[in-house]
Amino acid sequence: MAEIYKKETQLKDYSKDVLLDFYRTMVKIRKFDEHLIRLMQEGKVSGFYHSGIGSEGLSAGSIRNVLRDEDYIYYNHRGCNQKIAKGVPLSKIYGDFLGTTEGTTRGLGAGIVHSADPSRGVLGQAGTIGSQLGIGIGTAYASKFKGTDQVTVIYFGDGAASREMLHGSLNWAGLYNLPVIYICENNEYAISCHVSETHAVKEHIADWAYGYGISNCVVDGNDVLLMHEATKEAVERAKRGEGPTFIEAQTFRHRGHFEGDPYDYVDGELLKDWKENKDPIRNFVSRMLLDKIAEKQELKTIDQEVEQEILEAIEKAESAPQPEAGRIYEGLFA
Amino acid sequence: MPVMSYINAITLAMKEEMERDEKVFVLGEDVGKKGGVFKATAGLYDQFGENRVIDTPLAESAIAGVGIGAAMYGMKPIAEFQFADFIMPAVNQIISEASRIRYRSNNDWSCPIVFRAPFGGGVHGALYHSQSVEAVFANQPGLKIVIPSTPYDAKGLLKAAVRDPDPVMFFEHKRAYRLIKGEVPEDDYTVEIGKADVKREGEDITVITYGLAVHFALQAAERLAEDGISVHVLDLRTIYPLDKEAIIEAAKKTGKVLLVTEDNKEGSIIGEVAAIIAENCLFDLDAPIQRLAGPDVPAMPYAPTMEKFFMINPDKVEKAMRDLAEF
Repeated sequence: MAEIYKKETQLKDYSKDVLLDFYRTMVKIRKFDEHLIRLMQEGKVSGFYHSGIGSEGLSAGSIRNVLRDEDYIYYNHRGCNQKIAKGVPLSKIYGDFLGTTEGTTRGLGAGIVHSADPSRGVLGQAGTIGSQLGIGIGTAYASKFKGTDQVTVIYFGDGAASREMLHGSLNWAGLYNLPVIYICENNEYAISCHVSETHAVKEHIADWAYGYGISNCVVDGNDVLLMHEATKEAVERAKRGEGPTFIEAQTFRHRGHFEGDPYDYVDGELLKDWKENKDPIRNFVSRMLLDKIAEKQELKTIDQEVEQEILEAIEKAESAPQPEAGRIYEGLFA
Repeated sequence: MPVMSYINAITLAMKEEMERDEKVFVLGEDVGKKGGVFKATAGLYDQFGENRVIDTPLAESAIAGVGIGAAMYGMKPIAEFQFADFIMPAVNQIISEASRIRYRSNNDWSCPIVFRAPFGGGVHGALYHSQSVEAVFANQPGLKIVIPSTPYDAKGLLKAAVRDPDPVMFFEHKRAYRLIKGEVPEDDYTVEIGKADVKREGEDITVITYGLAVHFALQAAERLAEDGISVHVLDLRTIYPLDKEAIIEAAKKTGKVLLVTEDNKEGSIIGEVAAIIAENCLFDLDAPIQRLAGPDVPAMPYAPTMEKFFMINPDKVEKAMRDLAEF
């Protein structure tokens, strides 16, 4: 059965720059989302969006200071958390949502954005949920074939984990010992269904990996440092040629599946507990203040800088034009 | 007669069929406690319980496969795909299995299942929440494909689909769900699968279409009537098998035919309609057959400029009608 990943993390083992980078990234992800929801409320963006608020630590910890531009990721379909952590410019992501030419897709795909930024190793998601579980194997195979030390990280949710594709993917990853890291963002709910209602597991989704001989663990995805350590070990394992790792990261979403979802299928007290006691940003701030890594004012300054960066990104994305209708025919064939 | 929305007529049809026949059950993602993301199955879980309204794992191929297997053993499943776009992982089950079970079993077995899915654009859903996928299945004999345009037809056709002894694909235009309202009888009635319906009688030009575009054609026809141009509108309702007789009759009636679909133009079902007319009505035609359809690109983009360019609307239909009338 999957082990719970346990490690005593000490802030003093990290440089202040790294710690503040984690903080800044988490704040950026959250504020990005909050402003996007505001744009929806203003009628500028469609409501086909799945907020990633509440799970920022998972993406910041598993990407910042461990993955390089040349390492590939396939993001999951909740929030833009992984894209932001990987450094895709915010104006480009907002452009996708606003349908302007500033977007990575120049107007094609938003709502649920299917954008990509190959220069930063962001190879998109997939058309249907979980298809990235197959495509990611191809990327990992390609880097093995070419003899590079690139790793592929596939993000997906607990919902996607109920697709048959996961098992085909794990079989290949294990069989060919591929440099791939599965990060299952388990927020317990696939729209309205709890993971216990839709998955036949001993205890954890990560238990499945055991059957394929793949290293696995269950980690508190809302602890940014723990998430970072678990991913770092997986990346090092992949680079040493020791093959795939399956990380089940436990988290919870603060909002409904889509904007407008009443989210009434979740117990109110439980949600309150996650928001108040298990918030990844709030808990990290408490630790930094307690260990005197940073003063309140310093963190506030970062918040303001991020806010400014986001407002400028929205300004840039909004001031770009919508594509001409003729753009619809571009990109069909080479 | 009560007036209700298109989606409420669909819900009512399922409710009535489940009351009528306890072998009828519903399965799909979030169809139970939540009542579906569009609320098409609202109330069914409370009335019929978790054994007959099943919240499934996120796995369309399994939803289709489980439904097919249950249908082969005498149950009457209604399998919901949350969006028609998400049907792709289930295509193997539907085409390789469901469509061929009667044929390959020498008529010993059948597969009386209904696959329901919301399709179509105009809701800012972008590449993966806007597609028309009916043509994928229309090339596979063995599947009946139904696309109602009105609440009356939706209820009657869905009830007919549930009672049909063979697999039926039932596509519902998601923009029609709450936009289109109409009278729906409270009594038990069915609408025959495979029969088109004249939605407006006219003399000068004929428009043949289906789904939400029927309403655009009717709106445009009103505008042309003000100028003394009389438009005949035929709603296909079933796109496989096509109602050839009705198509030929409608084409011959005016000699000028406009075919409309929201799907991509190339390879869409209206190409087949055009072929039927070409084979049977050559000497009755007074103008080349015209097609108004979506552009031939992989999917519907998000930016409003491009979504508008892609979508059929009353203005586009009106222009195509006027061009044809003047020919």
